[in-house]
Amino acid sequence: MNAQKPIIPADLSQMSDRELRKLELSIARKYSGQVPWIAVIWAFGNLACWLSLWPLVFLNILPLWAAFPIATINMALVYLPTHEAQHDIIARPGTKLRWLNELVGHATSWMLLMPFQVLRVSHLDHHRHTNDPELDVDITSSASGPWHAIWNAVQGRQPNAKRNQDYLASLTRNGREDLIVLSLLYRIGFIAILGTLAWNGFAMEALLLWWLPYQIAITYIVFFLSWAPHHPATHQTRYTNTRSWKSAVGNIGSMGMQFHIVHHLHPYIPLHLTPAAYREMRPILEARGCRLGEI
Amino acid sequence: MERALKLVAALLPIAFAFAFLVPVFDQGMQALGINAPFGLSTLTLAVIIGGGWGLVAQVTGRWI
Repeated sequence: MNAQKPIIPADLSQMSDRELRKLELSIARKYSGQVPWIAVIWAFGNLACWLSLWPLVFLNILPLWAAFPIATINMALVYLPTHEAQHDIIARPGTKLRWLNELVGHATSWMLLMPFQVLRVSHLDHHRHTNDPELDVDITSSASGPWHAIWNAVQGRQPNAKRNQDYLASLTRNGREDLIVLSLLYRIGFIAILGTLAWNGFAMEALLLWWLPYQIAITYIVFFLSWAPHHPATHQTRYTNTRSWKSAVGNIGSMGMQFHIVHHLHPYIPLHLTPAAYREMRPILEARGCRLGEI
Repeated sequence: MERALKLVAALLPIAFAFAFLVPVFDQGMQALGINAPFGLSTLTLAVIIGGGWGLVAQVTGRWI
């Protein structure tokens, strides 16, 4: 972390918008600027663990029923390190470790069948247009409650889902039509790998080590990273489009998303530092009229 | 090129069904010891179920 703790006045009501902003930024900067090595270790450790499941299962060292839940956890853990890389948190452009930032993104996002650049372009678009019914690529995850959110997450993966069209529109809007072809190649590659495995007698392995873990993980990721922190997805201003909330499964179980509001306000803060930044920033967020839960 | 890509994209559901769903159903039934009715082989039944489901997904744009 970068600096000493800024002194927050007891009464923030007398502070101007500019003063509040300055104070908020001084806290945010304190929690940024360091390489989040935990995300790097997480990314490659998780990748190595998932890849190792394949030979372990093929060689009958690990039973498939035991490998399946591990693969599902691996799949659920893929997204957050690539998310750090999407925001250049590991290393900004032009810095010495930039290659590592890009490596983390590219080396892991393929497990979720998405090119890293597609995730980056569309996710940054989500930040620009959060909760905009026309422009937010994640707006289809909005739902009236948790069961509805799970159902919507499943529906978002259907061939004719609006979510697919929203992602294509985002790429087009950002002048990255080239990534549409790459996305399609990832899909074709996935089907080709699954098909090759399946027609060579490894259908159950392909099903339980990749396809089903992917389906479960994406539902989980959309639920906790997209639906829960933005619910009810009707606010569009900087300080209200995301919320803090108390998760029934805790901060780890919800992948750190209880403090997602800090991420949207200051996307350069590493995930593992958002709880501390949130606690320090909370009086300012209250003064800003943010939607804060009992946390 | 664009037309070819659009065609490939449009055929992904049926491709997925025959590339993956059919052998999953076939090997799944074998692993669970389930016999196909009417003297059919498990592969034939898998083609009927998996292929049929893929055809429905291809036409309607939805698996469920």
